[in-house]
Amino acid sequence: MNISNPILIKEMRTRMRGRRSFLVLTGYVLVLSLILGLVYLVLSNNAPTSVVSSAGRYLTPVLIFVQMGLICLIAPTFSASAISSEREQETFDLLVVSLARPSTIVFGKVGASLSYLLLTLFGSLPLIALTWSLGGVALGDVAIAYLVMLVAGVTYCSMSFMWSTLVRRGVFAQLLSLFTVIFLVAAMPALAMFFTALASNFSGGPSQGFINVVYLLMRTNPFAAIAYLLFGLPMPQGVWMEKVPIWITQVIFYLGLTALSLFFSLRRLERVRKWL
Amino acid sequence: MGDNPNNTTSMIRLENVTKYYKTFPAVNNVSLEIARGEVFGFIGPNGAGKTTTIKMLATLMLPSDGRLSIGGYDIVSEPHEVRRIIGYMPDSFGVYEDLLVWEYLDYFASLYKVDPARRGRAISDVLELTDLAIKRDSQVMSLSRGMKQRLCLAKTLIHDPEVLLLDEPASGLDPHARIEIRELIRELCRMGKTVLVSSHILTELADFCTSIGIIEAGCLLASGRIDDITHQLAGHVMLEITVKGDPGPCVDALSERADIERVTCDGRAIRAEYTGDANEVDELLEYLIRGGARVLSFTRSEADLEDIFLKVTRGVVA
Ligand SMILES: Nc1ncnc2c1ncn2[C@@H]1O[C@H](COP(=O)(O)OP(=O)(O)OP(=O)(O)O)[C@@H](O)[C@H]1O
Ligand SMILES: [Mg+2]
Repeated sequence: MNISNPILIKEMRTRMRGRRSFLVLTGYVLVLSLILGLVYLVLSNNAPTSVVSSAGRYLTPVLIFVQMGLICLIAPTFSASAISSEREQETFDLLVVSLARPSTIVFGKVGASLSYLLLTLFGSLPLIALTWSLGGVALGDVAIAYLVMLVAGVTYCSMSFMWSTLVRRGVFAQLLSLFTVIFLVAAMPALAMFFTALASNFSGGPSQGFINVVYLLMRTNPFAAIAYLLFGLPMPQGVWMEKVPIWITQVIFYLGLTALSLFFSLRRLERVRKWL
Repeated sequence: MGDNPNNTTSMIRLENVTKYYKTFPAVNNVSLEIARGEVFGFIGPNGAGKTTTIKMLATLMLPSDGRLSIGGYDIVSEPHEVRRIIGYMPDSFGVYEDLLVWEYLDYFASLYKVDPARRGRAISDVLELTDLAIKRDSQVMSLSRGMKQRLCLAKTLIHDPEVLLLDEPASGLDPHARIEIRELIRELCRMGKTVLVSSHILTELADFCTSIGIIEAGCLLASGRIDDITHQLAGHVMLEITVKGDPGPCVDALSERADIERVTCDGRAIRAEYTGDANEVDELLEYLIRGGARVLSFTRSEADLEDIFLKVTRGVVA
């Protein structure tokens, strides 16, 4: 990514200067701290001292899961209006007639959203340092969890950018982005669970192929990836990729989604004269 | 093209250009050539197809049929080369409200790959040209509408384009600001740029355009150098007559004659187009007086642009 990308610079100027980015970041860290504080209070009041003394084992996963949830909610909004807003404020024509290549536009806009995403992820680092110092979780696992969150954020940003090139109205682009994320993180597990419930009615139990599909679906889920990482999900004997950690396949799947989204966005921008 | 038969100097070129929106032809088989250094006034009433034509030239829209080129580069196959040499100002445009004026210009300067070392100079120059130098560090949001319009014009000039496509650059401005825009376009003309400027107000363009094209309902009705077009109507003498009392009978009397083409009356003054021999116009005066009209004044003038416009657009002036 080219750092001297004019669109990236302009987006940074407008985004970082406004009060909004400050408020979002503050709100994000506040929500995380509040939840952490609550969990810690409940723990220290109700749990035996042996648990409290290794509170990190509970607090770190809580922090990571809550953060993953927040990313699902806010990352899709970062670039969902990237193109729609330019069209709404009638600056898109000016951008198209300039010498900006479609790739400049894509990387400038998505890059700006990423820098925003990085900012929020970095904002939580002091908190994770605190919970990690309470012990219980390996530093490497925390790093991988952050990688999973980062990749998920990148994917959601790219997908919402693609929606912004497809939909004229910014609001619709936002909604579609949110629905896509909900579909990815909620509908897939729901489907998996539905199949599992269905399978329990099978005579002679579910077939191997069926189990394989259910576990493949799970491999698309970042929450499952983190759960596997921090708690270790049991894998049935002989299932596809039994020995491969879920997070690896999930990250690869998401990177694939990112590539597809960026590819379609580029294609769409290259044909801008057909839909402008 | 008038005194300029050499086609290689034509900067903007349209050949049988047609643009359909669904099935509606917004631009219908338009052919046009604009020579280098020309200030071309593109005139037509609302909905005539001016914006559609300019958007195709600005590489924002593909023609349904026909060929367009600027500076020899084809609009469809070489949009990037075209973009390098054109500055386009849309009729409805936006500005990034949350930037400073210089940042706004810096943004476009970098989008147009203006050499970073020369960027500061380029920004100062266009700010100077558009009279916005004192607003350099202001928020775009805080500018008045007219200032935003000038800022957009400044951004259009930032990469020193050879060809300017200005779609109603003066719309929504007060008379003073209109004059300033006009001065600015004159200045650009002196700098040797080829300018295409659209308007639905003919008089706004008349005094600084070197050539014009008149478009209505997607069809180009007339185009060429202003002197050529006025020449086409030469021999046609415009008469302005005022009479004492009710002009009605006089208008009727004029309408009856075969050598009078169009008679209009705005209360007092009667305007008529005389197609007969210019040296026999005294006969007409005699005819009127014989008819009982009490003629207060009887003047003839050469057909000006307004007349041409009225003539070719059948009186549809927006
Ligand atoms: N996006 C569009 N979809 C369908 N029809 C359109 C579209 N844009 C313009 N038109 C139609 O094409 C015709 C020409 O429009 P255009 O905007 O080119 O006119 P114009 O000469 O610029 O008018 P004005 O003086 O009002 O700016 C109009 O009849 C208009 O209704
Ligand atoms: Mg228009």
